[in-house]
Amino acid sequence: MKRLGLIAFLLIVVACAPAERADVSTETRQGPPQVYTVNYPLAYFAERIAGDSVAVVFPAPDGVDPATWSPPAETIAEYQRADLVLLNGAGYAGWIQRVTLSESRLVNTSASLADSLIPVAGDVTHSHGPTGDHSHGDTAITTWLDVELAVGQARAVFDALVRLRPENETGFRARLLALEQDLLELDEALKDVAARIGDARLLFSHPVYQYFVRRYSFNGLSVHWEPDEKPTDEQWRELSAALEVHDAKWMIWEGDPHPETVSRLAGMGIGTLVFQPAGNRPAAGNYMSVMRENLRVLQQAFPPSL
Amino acid sequence: MRDVLYLAWRYLVYHRLKTAILVTSITLIIYLPVGLNVVVEQSSQHLMARAEATPLLVGAKGSPLELALNSLYFSPEYPELIDYSEATTVADSGLADAIPLYARFRSRSQPIVGTSLDYFSFHDLGFASGRPMAVLGECVVGAAVAEALGVDTGDTVTSSPETVFDLAGVYPLRMKVSGVLEKAFTPDDEAIFVDVKTAWIIQGLGHGHQDLARAEAASGVLSRTDDNIIANASLVQYNEITEDNSDSFHFHGDLAGYPLTAVLVVPKDEKSGVILRGRYADENAGSQIIRPVTVINELLDTLLTIQQFIVAAVIIVGLATIATAALVFMLSLRLRQREIDTMLKIGGSRPRVASMLLAEVAIVLLLSSAFATAITLLTWRFGPAVIENIVLT
Repeated sequence: MKRLGLIAFLLIVVACAPAERADVSTETRQGPPQVYTVNYPLAYFAERIAGDSVAVVFPAPDGVDPATWSPPAETIAEYQRADLVLLNGAGYAGWIQRVTLSESRLVNTSASLADSLIPVAGDVTHSHGPTGDHSHGDTAITTWLDVELAVGQARAVFDALVRLRPENETGFRARLLALEQDLLELDEALKDVAARIGDARLLFSHPVYQYFVRRYSFNGLSVHWEPDEKPTDEQWRELSAALEVHDAKWMIWEGDPHPETVSRLAGMGIGTLVFQPAGNRPAAGNYMSVMRENLRVLQQAFPPSL
Repeated sequence: MRDVLYLAWRYLVYHRLKTAILVTSITLIIYLPVGLNVVVEQSSQHLMARAEATPLLVGAKGSPLELALNSLYFSPEYPELIDYSEATTVADSGLADAIPLYARFRSRSQPIVGTSLDYFSFHDLGFASGRPMAVLGECVVGAAVAEALGVDTGDTVTSSPETVFDLAGVYPLRMKVSGVLEKAFTPDDEAIFVDVKTAWIIQGLGHGHQDLARAEAASGVLSRTDDNIIANASLVQYNEITEDNSDSFHFHGDLAGYPLTAVLVVPKDEKSGVILRGRYADENAGSQIIRPVTVINELLDTLLTIQQFIVAAVIIVGLATIATAALVFMLSLRLRQREIDTMLKIGGSRPRVASMLLAEVAIVLLLSSAFATAITLLTWRFGPAVIENIVLT
């Protein structure tokens, strides 16, 4: 029997539990959903509509133009982790085409406004071989300067936020209506000023006012000058040539121009006005306060006739 | 009874070699069909797990098996291509999420899979080091790829040309490894993952080159008009995407028409999946939608049929083995006639002697059954690990 006991190996029971594949830990974030945007107007719209129920992040550094900014890898990783990424569309932020983001979290806020986008004339394309593939011209990017398009984008932001937080739809809708009211009031005031400007010829320092010009039917001509740079002699010659057919008395800038530029323009009988596109977060105030300041500048330059 | 068992046991121990051969033979005959069934069952479960984890696949009309094998296991043969707009259509339907797949290119023997970030979260793939790809030209490698190629985060891998003699083809693209996945014991371990746009760059649909408007690129210009510059074939295109040249990379044409091998469809719920499948039921539809579970099930049915033939063969061999063992036993009885006569003469009754002989047979059968059971249990317990570490790698 001893020997029988020694050969009691009939069943080998494995005591330890089966080896399990290590669970992939998924990052769980505390706090509200994160909404990233590619420019400040969209961040403003999202903040106005969502209030505190989401965390709105626009990570571009102060002072850079978000349209041409290329975020570093760490910032791209933040965009990847966001619950929602609001895109401007119309080719804004070309870096989007060169990074990897989760398609299911991207929202193109101007997708439904495609018919209203303005193609950029005079853009030089290229092709490979006489019959090969070719590139297409771009579209104008500052869609929010047309208040009607801005309202459309705000509604797209609302729709995206409701999909993210459906339980907050009622609050979102109330805040969207308030935002639309502010935008429409701004639009009416700009229309009043535009009526006073009428057909007067205007110059624009930079080709970023296409939607603004179209919305209010301005008679405008764009050059390609930078506010913080003194124009070259060639640029002054081009301006003089343009003035022969487009005799403007005002030049509208996206930022405070160089003092020497201002004085030289004044010598040519051209006044300077600053109308900030508000693509990035302002040093003070917000999108609406910036636009109201823009309005005030125009109203001051073109006061109601007595 | 104890004395009978004792004598039977002592006889078997004394003739240990004969006993060992008999026990081994009968153990194998019992274990082979059972163990084979366990291994096949576990392998099937492993294969089916991959298929079950993929709700639906959209691809070009054609072989569902080719579509499933390329999409699930990244087989070298890829199906007819579909447009990227198929993924957009699925996503815009609101019925499902769409994950694009472009599993066409290779880096040596490893498949390069163009996809989106959603692929990693869908398959619950974690990172042993690094991060997902962030910009074009970056890639994420599976654990087995990292081991085989000796690469880690920060190293590079290069795509292979589709044909060796394609002199006018696209130059291989050197890609930076941004992350290495944790071992998943799935075909993902063997793959290199890139953004689908990077896969299009590998194909040559997107590229980067000097700005043709600049003087330095004059040698690459064929002709120019006021609004278009035509490049010639000597224009050098970059074969690596770096921080310095990434802005130059672009695509020509509408991305909606760019190619995919499949779209991985994740329905919001069962009803949405049924509705979606109904939309592809039309015979005139340009693409098809398949349930990978159904396709792999049909494949496994075929394999299981082969298994049944093997089992039948083993059973026949087993019967022959048992017959041989019986013959050995009978011959053994003849050789032991003097021993049996001695037991009878010293007072053993015929029934008792017969009991002892039968006890020998019973002990051999019992030992064989026990060994076969033990080996089967070990197979069941360690089979998945063996399959994962040897069969699947």
